Amino acid sequence: MTIFLASLGFGLVTASVLAIAAVGFTLQFGVTDVLNLAYGAVMIAAAFIAYVVNQAGVSIWVGLVVAVAAGALGSVLLNAGVYTPFQRRGASPITMVIVSLGMTLIIEFGTQAIAGGTSVSYSMGQGPAVSADGLVLSTVQLVVIGLSVVVMAGTHVLLRYTRLGKAMRATAANKNLARNCGIRTARVITLTWAITGALCGLAGVVFAMDAGSFDATSTDLFLILILAATFLGGPGQAYGAMLGALVIGLATEISAAYITPSYKYVIAFVALLAMLGIRPSGLLGERAG
Amino acid sequence: MSSYYLINLLVYAAVDAMACLGLSQQFGVGGVTNFGFIIFQAAGGYMAAILALPDASANGGFQSYIGGLNLPFPVPWIGAAVAGGALALPFTFLVGRRLRGDFAAVGLLVTAVLLNLLVTNYRPLLNGDAGLSLIPQPLQGEFDPTSSSYQWIFTAGAIVCCALVYLLVSRITNSPYGRSLRAMRDNDTVADSLGKNLLAMRTTMLVTGGAIAGLSGGILVSYITTWSPAAWGYAETVVLFAAVIIGGAGNHLGAVLGAVLVPVGFEEVTRYIPTSNSLPPNLIPSLEWVAIGLLIVIFLWVRPQGILPERRRVIREAGTGLADTAPAAAAAVPVPAGPPPPESVTAAARPEGQRGSPDPQGPRSGEVVLRAVEVTREFGGVCAVAGVSFEVRHGTVTGLIGPNGAGKSTLLAMLAGTLPVSAGQISYLDQDVTGLPAYRRARLGLIRTFQLASEFKRLTVLENLLSAVPVNGGDSMRGALAGPRYWRGDEQAAIARARTLLKRFGLDELANSYAGDLSGGQRRLVEIMRALMAEPQMLLLDEPMAGVHPNLARRIGGELMSLAAEGLTVLMVEHELAIMDEFCDPVIAMAEGAVLAQGTMADLRGRAEVVEAYLVG
Repeated sequence: MTIFLASLGFGLVTASVLAIAAVGFTLQFGVTDVLNLAYGAVMIAAAFIAYVVNQAGVSIWVGLVVAVAAGALGSVLLNAGVYTPFQRRGASPITMVIVSLGMTLIIEFGTQAIAGGTSVSYSMGQGPAVSADGLVLSTVQLVVIGLSVVVMAGTHVLLRYTRLGKAMRATAANKNLARNCGIRTARVITLTWAITGALCGLAGVVFAMDAGSFDATSTDLFLILILAATFLGGPGQAYGAMLGALVIGLATEISAAYITPSYKYVIAFVALLAMLGIRPSGLLGERAG
Repeated sequence: MSSYYLINLLVYAAVDAMACLGLSQQFGVGGVTNFGFIIFQAAGGYMAAILALPDASANGGFQSYIGGLNLPFPVPWIGAAVAGGALALPFTFLVGRRLRGDFAAVGLLVTAVLLNLLVTNYRPLLNGDAGLSLIPQPLQGEFDPTSSSYQWIFTAGAIVCCALVYLLVSRITNSPYGRSLRAMRDNDTVADSLGKNLLAMRTTMLVTGGAIAGLSGGILVSYITTWSPAAWGYAETVVLFAAVIIGGAGNHLGAVLGAVLVPVGFEEVTRYIPTSNSLPPNLIPSLEWVAIGLLIVIFLWVRPQGILPERRRVIREAGTGLADTAPAAAAAVPVPAGPPPPESVTAAARPEGQRGSPDPQGPRSGEVVLRAVEVTREFGGVCAVAGVSFEVRHGTVTGLIGPNGAGKSTLLAMLAGTLPVSAGQISYLDQDVTGLPAYRRARLGLIRTFQLASEFKRLTVLENLLSAVPVNGGDSMRGALAGPRYWRGDEQAAIARARTLLKRFGLDELANSYAGDLSGGQRRLVEIMRALMAEPQMLLLDEPMAGVHPNLARRIGGELMSLAAEGLTVLMVEHELAIMDEFCDPVIAMAEGAVLAQGTMADLRGRAEVVEAYLVG
């Protein structure tokens, strides 16, 4: 029972980090139609930017804000400089994925070239631990969970109640129709890159906090969790990604407690392949035609 | 330059070129984007290793692995190819028609990352992270592997294998089967509707590419005598993709060039970078990866076709070149007797030996060919087609009219099998085809065209037409491997038929131009001709005259009428009412997903509900 509760705690933290990342990833894909595999690379680059700020003697929470801004700016530039020109030329979805894989190498190993190949950690206190019946969480972990809840609520408000959110949903559903209805889709898409890029930057920093130590290639495997959560909920579906993140986050950590930790990604992998094979539109998506 | 250096270079070049040829066949020709390509090479490497290695207890049992069969050369190499090919089979569920190509690619990428993780962490299987070493080299009991002559012979063997792979993929690509693969790559939905079995073709590509990758892994392992997870990280696949994209996807010589430029070239160039203690240890390898990423993105932008683009396949007019060898081939292969008389397009469209007709007599005039019963299609909550029932009779040109959004194209897609029905039943030639996939319906002679341009862009006009021919001995992997002598007869007959059609529609000048370079109207013609080449019993045409000059539209209508008189059945969606007046009888009017009325165009003009829904707008 103690093992279960402890792993439940880990699971909640992983699910929180994953939810932030997956909601950003799925919105990015849904609205902009780019399956941006460089998302993990942008995450880790943002985590390193926070690290640089942190090394300068500033609190990591300031670093987090800087990383969020950098993630937003970087993603907007990535879109404007690379993806949009390719899309405007009529590149096929598969070409876009290959381009994003190329960008993954550039960003990830560019980060490694600058940062070196060694693992680093933020200098930060974990705060007093809170425990309830064997479920032990540090203050930082509680803050991560809290941040995730705020992001989920914010996403809900954005999509349901704001003009921008409605425009994003309309653009995701049918870009041409949205443009013909007077929605400035180019601006909506740029704003989407900014918002999802900010989520990506945030996810990068909380991922690095949760991991303890990280290097430039740390998000290679985490990207699999993001993809699994995204496809479990249905690509493009924000609420699906939240559900997917909860399921995958809990499943990986709880399975890690009972099997060996090195195999914890297997369950995410199986979930992902099963969804791709059986129901590519996801649990919450409409049935594939 | 020492001979060791040269041997090393040549073996690596041969192995990389082989892998790139496999990828070029799979991705460049077949359009199957396999981001997990490297795991097939890995599988070959491991299989060769555990077939050649003695039992795991040998050498003091310092490494643990399964197998250890101690089998002699060439068994490990053959096993490597088999392992690579067999590994492809579990992934066939990813490459069917249902899944977007980019999603399937992601699935394969994730598989590659995960398999690497598993092999790294699970030691009993393949010695985990440390990998396998002391792998026996071919015939090392009989000869001395360290001798210069052994190494040169090994190098020659690797190059010969690479050359054989080149011949293999060239033979596949240059056959009618290769043309079908390229058609699928350019537009899979259309290839499906012309009777191509996408799942079978993609599976064949995965297995072929996998076997080639496996062989390359086997050869590599028996040269370097070690194999570990570090050698096949997911990013190695990206290197091979970079090579194929830079060399020229779809051009096998380009793949070889790419292999020399990228994997081999990078290895060599970094060899000459002076090592300096002032540099951070990871800097050079990191920058190499950055450079590969940059190369991919820049090449896709500046020269997406690669250094050596896929070559345009020009087929010369009969009587020159190719045709010289035709009589000999024709004698060996049974083909429809001679080219049809050039003045008759109908004969060209419907040769002897009709395929798909269950009864040699065929349905007689006036019999029901196609019957829809309560056919329904819902998208989300919207009912695009709501319980439509009608019949199309043999030898008629039936029109289908209705305002935009009436559900005409959706209905046509369901009849052809491009879209599944939500409810209802479709029968064709007294057979229930409701559950039949599009390619099976096409093989029964039920052929559709598309509302939007659907030519195979990187096939020539003539190739577009040839791609639809249902009976061609070379349009299968087995036929392709049998070689040109086996299929040239069928091919010549098909070319003759296609030329006749092209002359008839005035496009013979453009026979060897890329279909993607034609004007909108010309592309419509190509599509109609292609549908006729498929030897249809029934045609489903979605706005065939849209964008076509009125004179030409009239000519198409005339051709359809004369084909109908000979037994072809046509169902045609069209907005141009003059066309309906002239050529279509009966005409079905649809609005809001339902059939409003059916009759002659004159009848319909007299019906108030039709006039209200459609004619006055």
